[in-house]
Amino acid sequence: MATVVRLPELGESVVEGTVSRWLVKEGDRVERDQPLVEVTTDKVDAEIPAPVAGVVEALLAAEGEVVAVGAPLVRIADGSPAGAGAALPAKPTPAAAPAAPAPAAAPPPQARVEEPPRATPVARRVATQAQVDLAQVEATGAGGKVTKRDVEAHLRGSRDAAPAPAARAAVSVPGESERRPAYLQYALQEGDRVIPMTPLRRLVAEHMVVSKRVSPHVGTVAEIDMAGVVKVRDAHKRAFEEANGFGLSFLPFVVHATVRALREFPRLNASVLEDAIVEKRDIHVGIAVETEKGLVVPVVRHADRLSLAGLAQAVEDLAVRARSKKLSPDELKGGTFTVSNPGRYGNLYGFAIINQPQVGILRMGELVKRPVVRTVGGEDAIVIRPIMHLALSYDHRAVDGAPANGFLHRVRELLEEAEFDL
Amino acid sequence: MGEAVQVVELGRVPYADAMARQLELLEARRRGEGADVLLLLEHPAVVTLGRGSHEENLRVSRDLLRAQGVELFEVARGGDVTWHGPGQLVGYPILDLAARGARDLHAYLRRLEVLLCEALDALGVPACTRSGMTGVFAAGAPEGRPRKIASIGVGVRGWVTWHGFALNVDCDLAGFDCIVPCGLAGVEMTSVAHELGASAPPDLGRRARDAVRSAFLRNFP
Repeated sequence: MATVVRLPELGESVVEGTVSRWLVKEGDRVERDQPLVEVTTDKVDAEIPAPVAGVVEALLAAEGEVVAVGAPLVRIADGSPAGAGAALPAKPTPAAAPAAPAPAAAPPPQARVEEPPRATPVARRVATQAQVDLAQVEATGAGGKVTKRDVEAHLRGSRDAAPAPAARAAVSVPGESERRPAYLQYALQEGDRVIPMTPLRRLVAEHMVVSKRVSPHVGTVAEIDMAGVVKVRDAHKRAFEEANGFGLSFLPFVVHATVRALREFPRLNASVLEDAIVEKRDIHVGIAVETEKGLVVPVVRHADRLSLAGLAQAVEDLAVRARSKKLSPDELKGGTFTVSNPGRYGNLYGFAIINQPQVGILRMGELVKRPVVRTVGGEDAIVIRPIMHLALSYDHRAVDGAPANGFLHRVRELLEEAEFDL
Repeated sequence: MGEAVQVVELGRVPYADAMARQLELLEARRRGEGADVLLLLEHPAVVTLGRGSHEENLRVSRDLLRAQGVELFEVARGGDVTWHGPGQLVGYPILDLAARGARDLHAYLRRLEVLLCEALDALGVPACTRSGMTGVFAAGAPEGRPRKIASIGVGVRGWVTWHGFALNVDCDLAGFDCIVPCGLAGVEMTSVAHELGASAPPDLGRRARDAVRSAFLRNFP
């Protein structure tokens, strides 16, 4: 039987913590009450003790990862066979306090470490997705197991008989609505495919919700004539590829222009505190990278100190290692501004969600040849130029329209002047 | 709750010794032995890195620190890098929050801030807190130039607290030059003596300990 240790309730305003240090590793034997992991929130470092003795089966969060209260941290196998009658429920002792029941309205955290009711794997998945407490579902399967059909029947029933347990589970607890996104109830239909969220997906989802909630996003777009950049790139493409073993994309050019513009507009390289704005000296640019596992944003540190070639190498290195999952948590932290390059065809422009606690994110559109009007020899003429749209999302708490547009305009100037040395 | 917090003044204690003492008290408290304790002390010059530390907030190399006789510790408390040294009053509360029915880590931080503000008020230094920046600041600082006077960094094991707070009483503020305190660039460090200027009494250290002791006992009865 395995016990999943989750991040316990650590206080009313604590909704998440950062895994700061693992004190055990997979395969370790742990005693009940032995500290497993340190989790940091604000200026507190809390050690989470083992609720049971056993063997650490899997660490479910990486150091540096931000985990929500209730999210799984580690799985401990206590060596007894699954479902054995003699298996003790994982009940924390009073000394294992952070895993002990929190007072008042908070749900008792130890409920989360108890062995869940018996259910088929499919039923379990469906229940997790629909946020149904399996203990509330009437089981009709063999050996008293909850089946997928049972969960669906339960979901249908709960729609009619509000407030049924499932419905209660789906809407947030009063007083919690401020800090937890509410998930709308959806009754599964025939043919639906249920994909449980990976921890990364959940993290991304929660981050997006938080960002949209705390930060009033404003968008502004610039049309960039990339002819100069294309020229520089074409001139150096072959030599660069021979020297470095990978192709030169447009992304490092955009990052290069962005960091130089950020130096002139420090307000875009900032964070918002409740009653102050912090403009940061250092410029660390996050690069949104799509990986098999999901979206990650590794950070190029001191991006303003790198040459174009240096940026290209840094970006390539991070992207390659992000895809092979070899990034250290440190490399995902500390960004002060983000550049996103979704890089798919048919992407004119779009506004990205700000990567908190930053105040701006620049999203690259597709580079396409377009007819534009230029004055050639004193005459207006329609000419064909490689055009890219750059969309800036900025946080209006910190940045007003004029500096935001000033910044974007400067990025545009730098790209159109195309004075890059490779 | 029952027994009141025992306040123990230790004088100047090397960082490693104070840590061992805290751990001893912490483990005893977790076994349900002894009472809640507040250790009041100061350290010889030392730099500590909390779990939220970023290496770049250390402005000088580890070797240079060592050459200057400044020890460096990485410790299981929240927060970024900080400096301790003579003239700084350090408080390590070993409190069983669960036994106090106060299982709320952020509420605990806020309570520490409140008691430090009260103690500073008693010393004649108006102080305030700033949301999003745990710690205590001199009141009336101009916008964008906060002056920090006390730092907080806490550890908790099984709801029993350790580590705690550090109030700059009359320490040499140059000690902070080797770090970016708490990782907050643009934050200046100040001290009670610095804020009081010429009006600082000669027995400031004693008064500060008394002020912190009574504010602590008021807030953690």
